[in-house]
Order: sequence, then structure tokens, then C-alpha cells
Amino acid sequence: MATATASLAVRKKKKYGGLTPWVFALPGLAVYIAFLVYPSLSSLFFSLTDWDGLSAGYHVVGLENYRAMAEDPVVTRAALNNLIWTVVTITVPMVLGLTLAVLLNGKARGKPLLRMLFYTPGVLPLVSIASIWGWLYNPDYGAVNAALRAIGLDGLTQPWLGQNSTALAAVMVPAIWLRTGFPMLLYLAALQAIPREQYEAATADGATRSQRFWHITMPNLRPAHYIVLALSLIDSFKVFDLIYATTYGGPGTATQVMGTWMYFNVFQYYHAGYGTAIAVVITLVAVAAGIPYVLSQTKERDS
Amino acid sequence: MSGLRKGGIGTTVVLAAGALVWISPLALLVVTSLRPLSDFIGTGPLAWPEHFTWANFSEAWRVGNFATTYRNSAILLALKVPVGVLLSAMLAYALAKLRIRFRRTIMFGVFLGLTIPIYITIVPVFIMLRGMGATDSLLGLVGPYLAFGIPFEVLVLQSFFRQLPDELIEAAKIDGAGAWRIFWTLILPLSLPALVTVAILDAVATWNEFLFALIVLNSDANKTIPVGLLNFQGQFANNNTGLAAGILIAVVPILLAYVVLQRWIVGGLTAGATKG
Repeated sequence: MATATASLAVRKKKKYGGLTPWVFALPGLAVYIAFLVYPSLSSLFFSLTDWDGLSAGYHVVGLENYRAMAEDPVVTRAALNNLIWTVVTITVPMVLGLTLAVLLNGKARGKPLLRMLFYTPGVLPLVSIASIWGWLYNPDYGAVNAALRAIGLDGLTQPWLGQNSTALAAVMVPAIWLRTGFPMLLYLAALQAIPREQYEAATADGATRSQRFWHITMPNLRPAHYIVLALSLIDSFKVFDLIYATTYGGPGTATQVMGTWMYFNVFQYYHAGYGTAIAVVITLVAVAAGIPYVLSQTKERDS
Repeated sequence: MSGLRKGGIGTTVVLAAGALVWISPLALLVVTSLRPLSDFIGTGPLAWPEHFTWANFSEAWRVGNFATTYRNSAILLALKVPVGVLLSAMLAYALAKLRIRFRRTIMFGVFLGLTIPIYITIVPVFIMLRGMGATDSLLGLVGPYLAFGIPFEVLVLQSFFRQLPDELIEAAKIDGAGAWRIFWTLILPLSLPALVTVAILDAVATWNEFLFALIVLNSDANKTIPVGLLNFQGQFANNNTGLAAGILIAVVPILLAYVVLQRWIVGGLTAGATKG
């Protein structure tokens, strides 16, 4: 009996590394749990309270905050804006990025420089991107209106960020500007991994240019499409900085998204309970959308 | 036509024109920052300047309090990046090479952090920091910054570590090296390119972080570059050339770092996304 447990222990020790791995894993895991996992879970709890964010006391009100969200017209608007934001700032950069990648994979000169220029907006702080575009959109002294006047389209000049009809579209432009570089890089890496022989064989068989694109290029890009889509989706739900720093969610509620509406509820209207409920909803959507990608990253060829 | 395609001149022209349009906001920013405000108002934002001046930069530097915000952002980088990379590398080593129990569960839990928006954590983190007396302090930002950096860093590093041959580790073990020594003398030196990449991307993300800094830092003496820039933007709303100079002051380090280090940045982004 004693030897049986001992040998079981030995076998277990062989399969796993015992305590040593935990010595390496725990510091990182502790920080991760303390500052990400635990706060996320406590937000679940705060979302069930009427806490104002300032006073010491609060009551548990159950799902009241979630019920209130359903009746809050700003939440409806914000959710719709999040949806529009997600669709547009994923689709447009994907299409632009793929186009650029295909062109950059051709015989152009100076490819490293061109690639660098197209990716540059992607490294800038979101606040600085907001400042740059706020500056370009300035109704009187902005370059956007000045450019329209210069080509004789004076009638099209607008207060781009200052009116309901154009504000959301206007804040999506900088998002597209900064996000096109990433799919371009991924597609370029994927294109360069396609074996030349596939194209040579197809050309020998008399395939046209568009046939080669649809029958060789596109199937080979499927994994890249998946990754771009998954990462963009995860990214899109997080939108906050750009909108906060360009329009502050306005004018009115024209550019309000869940992230900014959460922020205003917590830090300006002192409805911390309600604000966290808004954050919980968008987080659940983001996590659900991200799970397939996370699973694909944990898959392993077990030895 | 075929001659054009052979040299790729047609594609080059199309791409170069596209790149010019793409980069024009930044180019315009540079030109504007170098002209006097009167010149800008007199001839309009798109005209080539009649005069050039450096005065916008000195004024923006002073009013924008950039000496302070630069110092604060630099302190944060120095505190956060080395610790973050080390903690992530240790965790990645345990996941990739040490046969840890619940490995897939840990990986799933950690990578799930990639999907979590920062703003769900701000209320509890704010309460925690207040309890620790760490609000309005750069030190208070380090914990949350570390936590939100870990998922991506571990993702990239563990996939790199897994490619290191087990035979090397076995040989070191036979020579009597323990896990800690193998980590320091074998894994880390062999992974230098991955570590550099992760450190650079982490530095860019830390330098650019806005939401936590906005909430946690109140006094001007503690603000980082993004929060400082936001205040500056409000103050300089009517001074277009000064604003341009201020924005440039805030982004120049990132732009320079990107130009110099882009091989690692680009490599890290694609590796982090595609290797599983």
C-alpha cells in the first residue's frame, strides 16, 4: 500500500514538475489575479449595488442596474454606436490592409519604407491621434475643411466633430487610420509564406491573374483573416480613449459608446453601481467574442 | 504595360501616392509646428509657410509641462517594463517547459485577459489604490499596468520558449543545473530577440496608456504624457501652431523608437498574432 502510493507520487511527479513550476508561475499569476481577475470579478458584485462611488455605504439591489440599462436611451445609443464602430473599424482596415499587402507583395520599389509609413499611425498614443484629428477637423482652421475649399467644394465644409450627422463617422476615420497597418502586416507575412511553386504551377496551367488570386491567394490567407478578425473584434469592444479625447461622447450622445458612458456614470454622475453594470455587459460580449481565439492559442501539440 | 509591371513602377507610384496621403496629417503637423501663428492664420493651414520658427516648441514645452510629464512617463517605463518582462518570462517558462499542473487552464485564464477591457477594472482598482494610499502616485499604476501587460507578453514568450530544443535543457540538467539556473543561463539568453520585442511593445503600450493614468493621477506633478497632452489640448485650442508643436513633442519619442526599432515591433506583432 505504502509503495503503491509512493510510486503513484513518483509517477505524478514525472508527469508534472511538482512545486518548481509554481515558483516561476506564481509571481506573475499573483499580479494578474490581484489587478485584473479580482477587480473584474468585484465589478460583477458592484454592478449589483446602488453604490455612488463616494460614500461608505451601499445596498445590494440585485439586477436593478441591468433593468435600468434596458430603459436608458443612452445605453441603446451607445450599444448601437459600439456595433457600428465594430463593423466599420474592422471591415475597412481589413479591406484596405489586404489591398496594401497585395500591392506591397508585388514588385514595387522601396517596400520597407512604404510599409513603415502605412504602419506609423498604429504606434502613436490614442490621445495624440485624437489631438491630431481634432486639429484637422477644426471647423475654421482645420486642414480638412481647408482642403475641401482648395478643391472648390466649399459647400461640403462642416463642423465634422460638432454635429450629430457627421460626428460618429468623423471619429471612425482616425480609428481606420491607425488600425489599417496591423492587418497589412499580417497579410503581408501570410502572402510571403505562400510557396512560389503554387503560382508557377497555376501559371503554367494557364490560370489568369484573378484565378490565381481566388484559388491560391485567398485560401492561403484564411488563417490570417481569422486572426485579423479575432484580434480586431477584441480590440473594437475596448474603444474608449479615442472617443473620450476627441468628442467626449458628444455632441449630445452622438458618439457615446459603452466605455465612455460607463466612465461618465462612475466619475461624473456618481453612479458607480450602474456604471460597472454597463462595463460588465460589454466585457461579457468582448470575452464571448474572444473565446474562440483564446482557445486556438491554448491548443498545443502535447508531447 | 508588361514593361511597367516588370519594374513595378506603376505599383510604386500608386503606393507612394497612397503613403503620402496616409502620412499627410503628420507631415502637416510638422510644417505647422514650425510656422508662426500669424502666418498660419494669415495664409491658411495648407499654404506653404512664409516664415519658420522654433518658438512654438519652446512655448508648448513650457505651457504643456512636458519636462514633468516626460520624466513621469520615463519613470513608469523604467519601473514597469523590466519587471513585467521578467514576471511574464517566468510564467511563460513554467507553461512552456516545466510541466506545470493545470497548464491549459492557466493559459486559458491568462490569455482571456487579452479580451478584457481595462474599464471593467477601474472602479475596484481605484478603491484598492485608495485603500493602499496609492492614488495620485505613479507607483499605483504599476500593478494594473503589469497585470494588463501579462497576457500578451506570456502569449508571445511561451510560444517562443516552446521552440527551444528540450535536449539543451536535458543536457544542462545532467550537468546539475536546476530550473532557476537553466532559466537564467539558457532560456533567457537564447530568447533575447523575443524578450527585446516584448519589452519594446510593452514600452510603447505603457507610454501610450491613458485611462488608468487619467483616473489615478490628479496633480500636475504626477501626470504622464497622454494625460498631460489632453490638458494641453484644452488650453491650446485656439493656438493651432502651438498645439501642433505640443502634439509633436508628445509623439516624437514613440516615432523615433518606431523608426529605429521597427524590425522588432513588426516582428513581435506578427509573431504574437500568428504563432500558437
